Amino acid sequence: MPDVDVLVVGAGPAGAVAAAHAKRAAPELDVVLLERDRAVGAPVRCAEGVGDAGLREFAEPDGAPWVARKISRVIFVAPDDSEVKVAERDVGWILDRTRFDAHLAALAVAAGAELLVGTEASGMTRTPDGRWGVAVRGLRGESSYRAKVVIGADGVEAMVGRWAGLDTRVPARDMESCAQYVVQGIDFDPDAIYLQFGDAVAPGGYAWVFPKGVGIANVGLGLVALKSDGRNARQYLDAWVGRRYPGGARTGYTVGGVIVHTTVQQTYADGVLVAGDAAHMINPLSGGGIVNAMKAGRLAGCTAAAAIRAGDTTARRLATYHHAWMALLGQDHLKYYRIKQALETVDDAFFNALARTVNAIPQERRTLGRIFTHALVKHPQLIPVAARFFI
Amino acid sequence: MLDGPPGGGYRSPMRRAHAAEVAVVDLAVCDRCGLCLPLCPPEAIHLELSDLVVDRQACTGCRKCVAPCPVGALAMVDA
Ligand SMILES: Cc1cc2nc3c(=O)[nH]c(=O)nc-3n(C[C@H](O)[C@H](O)[C@H](O)COP(=O)(O)OP(=O)(O)OC[C@H]3O[C@@H](n4cnc5c(N)ncnc54)[C@H](O)[C@@H]3O)c2cc1C
Ligand code: SF4
Ligand code: SF4
Repeated sequence: MPDVDVLVVGAGPAGAVAAAHAKRAAPELDVVLLERDRAVGAPVRCAEGVGDAGLREFAEPDGAPWVARKISRVIFVAPDDSEVKVAERDVGWILDRTRFDAHLAALAVAAGAELLVGTEASGMTRTPDGRWGVAVRGLRGESSYRAKVVIGADGVEAMVGRWAGLDTRVPARDMESCAQYVVQGIDFDPDAIYLQFGDAVAPGGYAWVFPKGVGIANVGLGLVALKSDGRNARQYLDAWVGRRYPGGARTGYTVGGVIVHTTVQQTYADGVLVAGDAAHMINPLSGGGIVNAMKAGRLAGCTAAAAIRAGDTTARRLATYHHAWMALLGQDHLKYYRIKQALETVDDAFFNALARTVNAIPQERRTLGRIFTHALVKHPQLIPVAARFFI
Repeated sequence: MLDGPPGGGYRSPMRRAHAAEVAVVDLAVCDRCGLCLPLCPPEAIHLELSDLVVDRQACTGCRKCVAPCPVGALAMVDA
């Protein structure tokens, strides 16, 4: 069985960045990156939106071939369809995830990591010498690797964590069931993202329109099944798209899960780190996970490299990763989660009323902060939550 | 090593005698999105070369995976 230093399972943003950073931090290490799908970045299970600042920590978006659209406005749509426009400078970008993920994987390979597509990890066991034997199958048949550190960047499935004895399960109330079409030939503001709330549209979540170009957008929604009326995500989406864009051509379709929880209790074990969706490292308010995954991947890659160099890959040593993540973003996610819980108590009438009061503010003075303030005036029960958020 | 997984009670080897119903997947409908895996308390669902597999022995019939599937690919049948 081939010996490697770091085996990264999953070539999404978390895994690709982890592999690149492990190799950059310690170029003498053998780093292998496995991807089950036959192409990195496909199929796309994502609305592809990222914030500007977070993205720039990892890649330069201006003029990049993996960018679909620059975004400079957010339009909130209340349950009664009234719109609230909020202009913010440099809001963010809509990526082309197929190209973006491939770009990140290519950076890992350029740093010296080996990438194997069409290859899945199918199980792992601890070897007597304190490494992991990882069974692998795919295009080239079955084989196995022996690795000092395995990085589980395998997305919502999170099997690496499970095999290592970590608890990666999710309560049903914290899973958003998503469905999305690529819709073409429709009319909307191509510089804005649209977010619509409402129990009839997407109970417990929201629906989105993320432009990929003029007249073409990712149109999808995420909902919490426990709050649905019995229809599944695809059925809610068919109803919403049918009402909003009856003439649009639905040229693509995807589904997926977004874990709107907080970081798993433990993100490390002997010789194992888990990162990205696999560790529930998603902003539980927005459902955004791409930048979180890259930040976690960077930490995981650097921690693994330093541990191997020091000759100590025990859970005790790898725990530094968990602490670093919690300080970087994990604690913030705990706060966002409390806000999410408080928002669950507000209803459609509140969002409709909020839209009316905010629309009374002149557009150039409308910021997300002012909208939040208005929400608090209308809904004082949110104040304690907001206080915890800002303190 | 670990102290054992948090919430590890689910993982007791004697976890069930007989469930009246078990979950089955319709692979013609399933999109292999992986959403149902972390929802299953006894961890009875996994993907094998991208095909979803429900372990009928491990499934407790709790139905937690059924409604969240975005496309309705999971259903309960008599065990
Ligand atoms: C519908 C939808 C819309 C979303 N929209 C946004 C958005 O607009 N903005 C945002 O920031 N986030 C969004 N997200 C979340 C975002 O997609 C994820 O947070 C992000 O992809 C996480 O990156 P990752 O590297 O952790 O996991 P992934 O990108 O899921 O990558 C995991 C990879 O591991 C591979 N893999 C899994 N198991 C194995 C195995 N055993 N062996 C080998 N390979 C394996 C998978 O094939 C996959 O390629 C959305 C999610 C969904 C479902
Ligand atoms: S949630 Fe549904 S579509 Fe996704 S993997 Fe499970 S059965 Fe398949
Ligand atoms: S019914 Fe419950 S135990 Fe059975 S597969 Fe679904 S979630 Fe798992």
